[in-house]
Amino acid sequence: MAAWLVGLNTLKIQPFKLPPLGPHDVRVRMKAVGICGSDVHYLKTMRCADFVVKEPMVIGHECAGIIEEIGSEVKHLVPGDRVALEPGISCWRCDLCKEGRYNLCPEMKFFATPPVHGSLAHQVVHPADLCFKLPDNVSLEEGAMCEPLSVWVHTCRRANIGPETNVLVMGAGPIGLVTMMAARAFGAPRIVIVDDVPKEVEKVCKVMEARVDVSFDCAGFNKTMKTALSATRAGGKVCLVGMGHNEMTVPLTPAAAREVDVIGIFRYRNAWPLCFEFLRSGKIDLKPLITHRFGFSRKEVEEAFETSAGGGSAIKVMFNL
Amino acid sequence: MGKGGESHEENMAAWLVGINTLRIQPFKLPPLGPHDVKVRMKAVGICGSDVHFLKTLRLADFIVKEPMVIGHECAGIIEEVGSEVKNLVPGDRVALEPGISCWRCNPCKEGRYNLCDEMKFFATPPVHGSLARQVVHPADLCFKLPDNLSLEEGAMCEPLSVAVHACRRADIGPETNVLIMGAGPIGLVTILAARAFGAPRIVIVDVDDHRLSVAKDLGADGVVKVSTNMQDIPEEIERISKAMGAAVHVSFDCAGFNKTMSTALTATRAGGRVCLVGLGHNEMTVPLTPAAAREVDIIGIFRYKNTWPLCIELLRSGKINVKPLITHRFGFSQEEVEEAFETSARGGNAIKVMFNL
Repeated sequence: MAAWLVGLNTLKIQPFKLPPLGPHDVRVRMKAVGICGSDVHYLKTMRCADFVVKEPMVIGHECAGIIEEIGSEVKHLVPGDRVALEPGISCWRCDLCKEGRYNLCPEMKFFATPPVHGSLAHQVVHPADLCFKLPDNVSLEEGAMCEPLSVWVHTCRRANIGPETNVLVMGAGPIGLVTMMAARAFGAPRIVIVDDVPKEVEKVCKVMEARVDVSFDCAGFNKTMKTALSATRAGGKVCLVGMGHNEMTVPLTPAAAREVDVIGIFRYRNAWPLCFEFLRSGKIDLKPLITHRFGFSRKEVEEAFETSAGGGSAIKVMFNL
Repeated sequence: MGKGGESHEENMAAWLVGINTLRIQPFKLPPLGPHDVKVRMKAVGICGSDVHFLKTLRLADFIVKEPMVIGHECAGIIEEVGSEVKNLVPGDRVALEPGISCWRCNPCKEGRYNLCDEMKFFATPPVHGSLARQVVHPADLCFKLPDNLSLEEGAMCEPLSVAVHACRRADIGPETNVLIMGAGPIGLVTILAARAFGAPRIVIVDVDDHRLSVAKDLGADGVVKVSTNMQDIPEEIERISKAMGAAVHVSFDCAGFNKTMSTALTATRAGGRVCLVGLGHNEMTVPLTPAAAREVDIIGIFRYKNTWPLCIELLRSGKINVKPLITHRFGFSQEEVEEAFETSARGGNAIKVMFNL
């Protein structure tokens, strides 16, 4: 059974027929699935950027579970292994894949990005190389949290976060909080989070007590980008992570004239192992971010999505199956 | 005390004294410091920024509040050297890098001296420019020209440096197909620099047929005529794609308009880079999100750093030939200075207008 998005604002738990198990696949019994803002967006609007839900689709993509069955060629996993899943299946034939930038694969098949079914289900079939065995001291819920954390690991890498980069985070939603944890894990000495965009950029710098080397725009609005571009020091970087409006009106020229670069972020690549390392060592603790838990029934699925959509005190809403 | 011949004539320069008003007037030089040289100017080119200051007395946050000597693209002959200067002697032909950095601030010490907080740059107010008979300048910013390079080519090192810096920041090489927005002087030197850096395919766009034909002569693989209409972007991208015959890895926006940036962001392949070189409107409305969602990065370009030696080498070896870009020449008289600036401002078939002093 799986949670299907069957129409606007309508989720239904229905049978979900699994594809046959290929030689390099595994079958996973889902145990923990988190709700992402994009899942909520699909529920409310049936679309996200250019992706449109045209037929019923299983929702959810932040997940972890237990291996039930392995394909004939699978060597590194056995039934009973606890694994976290990386959602996206790349083609490994195109230029981008072969350059290692597989997150940009034009043929990407990603859980719950239409028309590919998601993973809020009792079981899924998935390539074994995209299932990562959890360290003993990392729970399945933390495993599911690796997906959002991966976005931030990828961002910190692209932005070159380290012991000399002071970081400004625009947006203190769940994303902003995970960002802060990731930046700290990468060694950022000072991190300032801004939720309500301040009227003066100087205020931000005052709180920072130092230059802003890198800004993360986790909201993706004109206002947040404008502040990020203005607040970042000459030669610094602004990462646009939040997917907001298509067209944006921003002070690009003064930023370019100070060689403030704008770095785009799309999902992640090769991030799970590093996420595990951060969680295993305790450098990052995501458990406090899981604020609400629900079981896998029609009523609870609806309530869970309402809770997540409501925002407020809800940071990460997690299903326990 | 310096070493070398002392000239006894009064130094004259082209001063910007008011909107649209240039006057050749005396220009008193500062005393020669131990690390300075006195240069007799021989070739000075006009830049779009010089024209902008002439027409509006401002550029971005820089405002001309008092009369200021104009001009910054220059080369000349050493007349006198300061007591500590070892690498130059009177008679040496040199090209000048305009900007004097402080070497005390963080950007300077990190080597990104073009971003210096205290930058003193020829003809960026309140610092006087170099369209003068003589200037005094730090010796380390004067680069000796090889015998086979003219002083005019020396002056061209300045605009060429912008393109070289952009090609470095954008990581141009034998695998990067390049799209250039705008075939003005900067777009045109970008063709030359990108080719010198190894770019296999270069396509350039502009609204002007003449500019496009110059671009073709300079070695662009493809030229595409475009409009100023935002609605035409999808169709233009198709033609660009056809002209390139391959993915666009790096785009250089050498115009700096919403349309050129929007086109560049959309035309560049996922994981590629768009360099914003042309400094146009303050606020820009562009499809940033879809670009970010394809990890197309935007790289800012401000002037240059450590480019003169490479420019000189590329010119010396013939890998780059800037001579075709010098379309008009003028002498240093009141009448000619006015005419030169009018010619440059008019655009059209005027690419680089050069003063010979």
